[in-house]
Amino acid sequence: MPVQIDLLQGTLDLLILQTLAAGPMHGWGVAQRIQQMSKDVLQIGQGSLYPALHRLEYKGWIRADWGLSENNRKARFYRLTATGRKQLDTELKNWERLSAAIGLVLTPAVQS
Amino acid sequence: MIGEWLNRLRFLFFRRKPEALDDELQFHLDLSVERNIAAGMTADEARRQALIEFGGVERTREQCHGQRPGWWMGTVAQDVRYALRGFRRNPVFTIAVIATLAVGIGATAAVFSVVDRVLFRSLPYAHDDRLVSVGLVQSLEKQEFTLGGFFFEWRDNQKPFESMTFETGYGDCNLTDGNPVHLHCIHVAQNFLPTLGVSLAAGRNFTPEEDLPNGARVAMISDGLWLSRFNRDPGAVDKDIDLDGHATRIVGVLPKDFEMPRLQEVDILRPAQMNVAQQHTVNGGIGYPLWAFARVKSGLSLAEARAEMEPLFLHTQQWIPAEIRKEFHLRVRSIRDRQMQDAYRAAWVLLGAVFAVLLIACANVASLFSARGAARQRELAVRSALGASRGRLIRQSLTEAFLLAAAGAVAGCAMAGILLRIFMAIAPTGVPFLAAARLDLRIVLFAVVVSMACAALFGILPALEKPHAAALAARQAKSGAHARLRRVLVAAQIGLCVVLLSGASLLVRSFWNLENQDLGMQTRNVITVHVPLNWEHYPTGTVDFHLRAEAALRHLPGVTAVGMSDSLPPDGWHDAIRLSDLDVQGSPRAPASDAGYSVWRRVTPDYFRALQIPIVEGRNFTEEERGLDKHLAILSRGLAARLFPGGNAIGKLIERWEFNPYRKAGPVFTVVGVAGDVKNGGLGGEDQPEFYELRTSVQTGYWDSHHFFILESSLPASVIAPWIRSRVAQLDPTAPVEIDTMKQAVSRLADRPRFETALLGFFAFCGLLMAVIGLYGVIAFVAAQRTQEIGVRMALGATRMDILRLIAAEGLRMIALGGAVGLGVSLAAAQLLRSMLFNVGPHDPVTYAAVLGLLGVVALAATLIPARAAMKVEPVVALRYE
Repeated sequence: MPVQIDLLQGTLDLLILQTLAAGPMHGWGVAQRIQQMSKDVLQIGQGSLYPALHRLEYKGWIRADWGLSENNRKARFYRLTATGRKQLDTELKNWERLSAAIGLVLTPAVQS
Repeated sequence: MIGEWLNRLRFLFFRRKPEALDDELQFHLDLSVERNIAAGMTADEARRQALIEFGGVERTREQCHGQRPGWWMGTVAQDVRYALRGFRRNPVFTIAVIATLAVGIGATAAVFSVVDRVLFRSLPYAHDDRLVSVGLVQSLEKQEFTLGGFFFEWRDNQKPFESMTFETGYGDCNLTDGNPVHLHCIHVAQNFLPTLGVSLAAGRNFTPEEDLPNGARVAMISDGLWLSRFNRDPGAVDKDIDLDGHATRIVGVLPKDFEMPRLQEVDILRPAQMNVAQQHTVNGGIGYPLWAFARVKSGLSLAEARAEMEPLFLHTQQWIPAEIRKEFHLRVRSIRDRQMQDAYRAAWVLLGAVFAVLLIACANVASLFSARGAARQRELAVRSALGASRGRLIRQSLTEAFLLAAAGAVAGCAMAGILLRIFMAIAPTGVPFLAAARLDLRIVLFAVVVSMACAALFGILPALEKPHAAALAARQAKSGAHARLRRVLVAAQIGLCVVLLSGASLLVRSFWNLENQDLGMQTRNVITVHVPLNWEHYPTGTVDFHLRAEAALRHLPGVTAVGMSDSLPPDGWHDAIRLSDLDVQGSPRAPASDAGYSVWRRVTPDYFRALQIPIVEGRNFTEEERGLDKHLAILSRGLAARLFPGGNAIGKLIERWEFNPYRKAGPVFTVVGVAGDVKNGGLGGEDQPEFYELRTSVQTGYWDSHHFFILESSLPASVIAPWIRSRVAQLDPTAPVEIDTMKQAVSRLADRPRFETALLGFFAFCGLLMAVIGLYGVIAFVAAQRTQEIGVRMALGATRMDILRLIAAEGLRMIALGGAVGLGVSLAAAQLLRSMLFNVGPHDPVTYAAVLGLLGVVALAATLIPARAAMKVEPVVALRYE
C-alpha cells in the first residue's frame, strides 16, 4: 500500500495541467498517468480529481469534449487551452522557484 | 483576465447537465473494474475493490457542483424554497417567531420614537448644547428665575457668556380686531432671538431702538398666527394688527419650529422695552421677575460658567433682605435640563421597559430556534451524510433565520406604526413634543438588526455543532446540550417578566390611588369660568365688572353657588407665602429657617359652597363682610394645626410680613374659621397648608389679574356654557370667555400618569405573553422529547402522577429560578420608580406578592398543559414512538 501524501495546495492543479500538456485525456487516464509517473506514490481519488477538473474548466484553463475512449465508450476528454498552457508555464516556474527555495532551506539538514 | 471573466459568465448562464457528471463517474468506475479484472481478480471482487477505492459519489457531486462560479446563488434560491417548505410544515413555530419579533420590534421602535423626541431631540436653536438657563432658586420657586435688579448687573459684568438675554414670562393680550381672541404675548429682550440662534421665517428682529422704554409698538408673530390670520402671506410683515386696542406693527415672523426655552405657548413676541434704571426701585427695589438665558462661550463647561458667575451672584445678593438672603441660590443649567424636569425619569423607565421586552422577544426567538434545532439534529446528520458540507448547513440555517427575521421586521414595522398611532391618541397634551413624534428609522433598523442577529446566532448554533453519526443511529433525536441553554433563556424571560410586571403593577396601584383619592372638595358639578379682560378698558380696576358678572351668573338656571378666587386647586398657579412670614400675634415667630410655605388664596364665601369644602371650626365668611374693609381669614386644617398646635385658632390675629425691600408692617388678619384640607400641590404632590383671605370689594391688588368664577351647577357644562358666554358678552363684548369643568381639569392632571401606566402595563402584558409562550414551548418540547422515556418509566411501574411530577418539576425549576432573580432585580429597579409613585412604596409587599402569584399561576398553567399531555401517554404507544 503506497504511503498517503498530502499534496500542497494547488499542486494537484499543476499536476493535472502538466499531465494534460501531453495531449487530451479523460479523467481516469489523468489519475492513472499521475499514479504511474509518480511510481504509485501519488494516488488521486475521484473525490478530489473531478472537483479539480471542474475547477480548472471553470477557470478556462482546460476544455472538455465528449469523445470515444480506447474501448469505444463515450468519455469526456480534457485538453489544455491556450490560457491553460500559459498558466502551466507560470505555475511551473513558480514551482521551480518554490522547490529550489525549499531545497536551499533543507540542504544543510540533508547534508548533516 | 477578461477572457477568464467571460468564461465565468458563460458558465453562469449555461449550466452543465448533471447527468454528464454521473456518466463520467460511471466511466471512471468501470475502467477501475476492468483494471482490477486485468490484474486477475474475479468480477465480483474487482467490482467490490473498485467501489471501495472509489468512495462516496454524492460528496464528489456536491463538490464538483460547488466549483461552478456563482454557484451559491442557485443554492440561496434552493435554501429559500427549502426553508419555506419547512415553515409550512411547522406553522406554530413560524407564527410564534414572527409574532414575537413583530411585538419586540414594534414596541421598541414605537416607544423609542416617542422617547427619542423627549430625551434626545435637538432643540430648535443653533448649538443648543451651549444654551443655559441662569437664575435664582428658593423654597417658593424651584425653577430658576431672576429679577430685574439682578439681571442687568449680571449681564453687564459677566464673563462666561457670549451673551445674556431674558423673557418676561407669561403674558396675555387680546387681538381686538374682529372677534376678540386671547393670545399669548411674551416680552423679550432685543437680543433674545440672536442669543438663541433663531433665524426668522420672514421680516427682521427688533431694533435696539424699538427695545427702549416707550419705543415703537412692534411685534413678531408665530407661524400659527401667521397661518390663521394671514394664510402665510409674506406681505403680513409691516402690516398693523390691533393688540389690546393699539395698532401694532408686525416686523417679523417666527420660524415654524420656534418654541420658547420654557416651552410656554407663544403667539406674539414683543420687545420688553425695559427701563433698566427703574429696576432698582420697582417691586420693592428688586425689579420685575425675569427668566434669563445665556450662551456659554465655547470651550467653557457649564460648571466653569457657573463658578465664574458665583462672585457676581454673591455681590447682587445684597439686594435681598438679610432675613431670607440665605435661602437664595444660583443655578445654571442647560435649557434641555430645564425643559425635561421629571420627564427624564419617565422616559428612562419606558426605555428600560421596552428593552426588557426586546430582550424577552430575543430570548423567545432564541429558545424557539434552539428547540427546533435540537429536533432537527437527525435531519442535519442525514443531510451531512448525504454530502452537505458544514458551510452549506450553516448557510441553510442562516437563510431560514433571515427569512423569519425579515418577515418579523416587516410585521414589526407595521406594528410600530399602529402602536405609535395608539400612543399619540391616548397621550396627554402634557407630554412634550409627542404630537411631533415620527417613526424613527434608525431605531427600526436597530431593532431589526438586533433580532436578525439573535435569530442568526441561535439559528446557526445547532448547525455549527458537528453532526453526530450517533444522531443518525439514535432511535430519536436527543435534546442535547442546548437543553440547558434553553432553560436559562426561559428562566431569564421569566425574570425579566417579573421586573416588568412589578413595575407596571406599582404604577397601576399608584394610579388607582391617584384617581380615587379624596381631593377634599367636589369636582362633579363644578364649572370654572375665566375671563381675561383687556386692562386698558378698565382704568379704575375690574372689581365692578367682576361683581356684575357674579350677579349675572347667579341668575342662571341650575346655578346654586358662584364663588370667586384668584386661583384654583388642585394644581396650577397660586400665590404663596413663607410660613416664617406669618406672625401669630402673642406667640413667638416661627424660625426664619423654616422653609415651609403656605398656599394663599383670595376667595369669596361661595368658594367653599361651590366646591363643598367643609368649615370644620368657626364659620364661613359672610356676604356682608365682602363690603367691609376688614382682613379676615380662614385657615386650612393643616395650617391651623401648624400655627396653633395647642388649640383654638378662631379669633386669633395673624400679621402678614411684607418686604419692600426691608420688612414693613403688613395687614393683620382675624381668623374666623378653619376649613377642611384640600389637595393643592397637584394630584401626586404633597398637601400644603392653605391660607384663605376674604376677597373683598374694597381692597384691590395685583391679584385682580387672576380671577376665576367657580360655579356649582346642576346642569351640565355643555348646556350652561352658551348662557355664560352671552351674559359675559352683555357686560363686555370684547372679553374672551374660557369655560372648563373641574372634573375635566382634574382628569387632565391624571393624563400623564395614566399614559405612563397604560404604556408600562402594555409592555408588561406583552412580556408576560411572550414569556409564557416560551415556557409552554420549552415544556411541550421537553415532554415530546421524553415520550419514549415516559413509556419506559410507565412500563417499569411509574404512576401517572410520577410522570406529571417529572415533567412539571422541569418547569417549576425554571419558574422558581427566574422568579427569584427577577424579584431581586425588580426590588432594586423599583427605586427608579419612586418619584413616579403615589401613596405606594416601591417595595409594596402586596404588589410583589400579587405579581409573583399571577406569574406563578400563568406559568404553572403553561407547564401543566404539556405535562398533563405527557401523563396521558399510553405506554405501548410511547415505546413504539419514533
